[in-house]
Amino acid sequence: MHMISRKICPVSPDKWKAITLLFIFAVLVLPSITLAASGGKPATKIYNVADTRGMEPGLSKWIADIYNNNLWLFGTLIVVMMGGMGLIIGLGMDKLVALLGINLGKLDHHE
Amino acid sequence: MEIFNVYLPIAGMDFNILLLLLIGTTVGVCGGFFGIGGAWIVTPALNIFGFPMPYAIGTDLAHMGGKSIVSTIRHGKFGNVDVRLAVSMIIGTTVGMELGAKLVIWLEQMGLAESVIRKIYVVFLFLIGSYVLYDYLSHVRRQKKAAKAGEPKEESGQTLAQKLNRINIPPMIHFKTSGVRCSLWLPVLVGFVTGVVASVLGVGGGFIRMPALIYLVGCPTLVAVGTDLFEVMITGAYGAFTYGVKGRVDLLAAMYMLLGAAIGAQLGTIAVKYVRGYSIRLLFAITIFIACASVLLKQLELQTPSSILILTAGIAISTVIITLLVRGVMKEKAAIRSSSKPLL
Repeated sequence: MHMISRKICPVSPDKWKAITLLFIFAVLVLPSITLAASGGKPATKIYNVADTRGMEPGLSKWIADIYNNNLWLFGTLIVVMMGGMGLIIGLGMDKLVALLGINLGKLDHHE
Repeated sequence: MEIFNVYLPIAGMDFNILLLLLIGTTVGVCGGFFGIGGAWIVTPALNIFGFPMPYAIGTDLAHMGGKSIVSTIRHGKFGNVDVRLAVSMIIGTTVGMELGAKLVIWLEQMGLAESVIRKIYVVFLFLIGSYVLYDYLSHVRRQKKAAKAGEPKEESGQTLAQKLNRINIPPMIHFKTSGVRCSLWLPVLVGFVTGVVASVLGVGGGFIRMPALIYLVGCPTLVAVGTDLFEVMITGAYGAFTYGVKGRVDLLAAMYMLLGAAIGAQLGTIAVKYVRGYSIRLLFAITIFIACASVLLKQLELQTPSSILILTAGIAISTVIITLLVRGVMKEKAAIRSSSKPLL
C-alpha cells in the first residue's frame, strides 16, 4: 500500500508545503518585484505632447509650449483667449453692423 | 488649397483654415439664431475631416464659450436675456448634470450606456421636434381661423406654462424681461431636468432648454433664445477649461473657428429681428428632425453619411437664416427710404 502511494505521489508532504509556499510567493511578490524592475507602477494617465520640433517661433509654438509645460495655465489661457476674442470681435461687429445703418435697439417680443 | 493648410501641433495634424472658418460660421449663425451651442454640428464635422474625437469635443466647447459671448451681448442689447431666470436655471442645471453623470456611470456598469443613451437621444429629438412642429401648425391653423372669422386676435386656451406659473410655492419671483411671474422652483426644476437629460445624452443641452423655456416657463421665443445663450456661455467656458486642463483642446483650431463663429453668431442673432417667434420655432423643428436622422444613421453604423448629413444641413439652414436677414434688412431700408420721401 505504502509502495503504491509512493508511486502515485512521489513528492513528500514537506515538499508539497515548500511548493505551495513558493507558488504563493510567486503570485504575491514576483509581480511587485517585476514592476519595481520595470520602473515602478504602470502609468495610469497618458499625457499627449505637442510636437514643436521644427516649428518657427510664433503664436503656434507659444501655445504648444504652454500646452507641454503647464496644463492648468493652458486651461486658463483657453478661457481668457476665447472670452477676449469673443468680446473684441463681438463689439467690433456691433460697430460694423451699426455703420451699415441697421437699427440695433431693443426689440418687441412678437410671436 | 494646400496654402490654406495650417499645422495644429496639439491635435498633431494639418488642417484647412477655410474649413475651420466654414464650420465656425455655420454653427455661429445657427447658434445665434436658435440659442444653442451647436456641438451636434461641430463635433461630427471636425471628426469627419480627421480630428480625433476627444479633441473635437474639447475644441468645440472652447470656441462655444467665445461665440456665445458674442451672441449674448447682442441678444442682451435686443433685450432678450433674462439674467435672473438664467441664473436660477444654472443652479438646477449644475445639480442635474452631476446627477446625470452618475446615472451614465451606473448605465455603463450595467453595460447599457451606449445603446440606451443613443435610443433615448433619438426618441427625445423626435418628441421635441414633433411637439414644436405641432405647436407651429396649430398656431397657423388658429391664425387662419381668426382671419376667416375677421377677428383681430387669435384665441388660444391656457398653456402648460401658464398652468405651471400658477403653482404657488414661495418664493414667487417676477422675471421682468420674460414677463413671467412664477415660483423660483419652476426654473430651478426645469434647469435640473434639462441638466440631467443633457448630461445623460452627453450634449450641452441648448436644444432641450430653449423649448423648455418656451413651453414650461412661458418665455417669449426671443427671450428663450437669449437666455439659453447666457447659459451656453457659462457652460461653454467651464467645459473649455476642464477639457483644456485635460489637454484635449486644440486652441489654434478653436481660434480659427471662433473667428468664423463670432461673425456668424452676430449675423444669426441680428436675423431674429426680422422673423417672428413662430418662424424660429418652425426652423428649429426642422433642424431637430435632421439631427434625429443623423443620430439614427449613426445607430445604423453609418458614421460618414451621418456626419455629411449634419454638416450639409447646418450649411443649408445657416444659408436660409442669412437669406432671411438680407431680405429683412432690404425691407427695412426700403421702408426707411419711403418714409423719408417728402409728401407732395
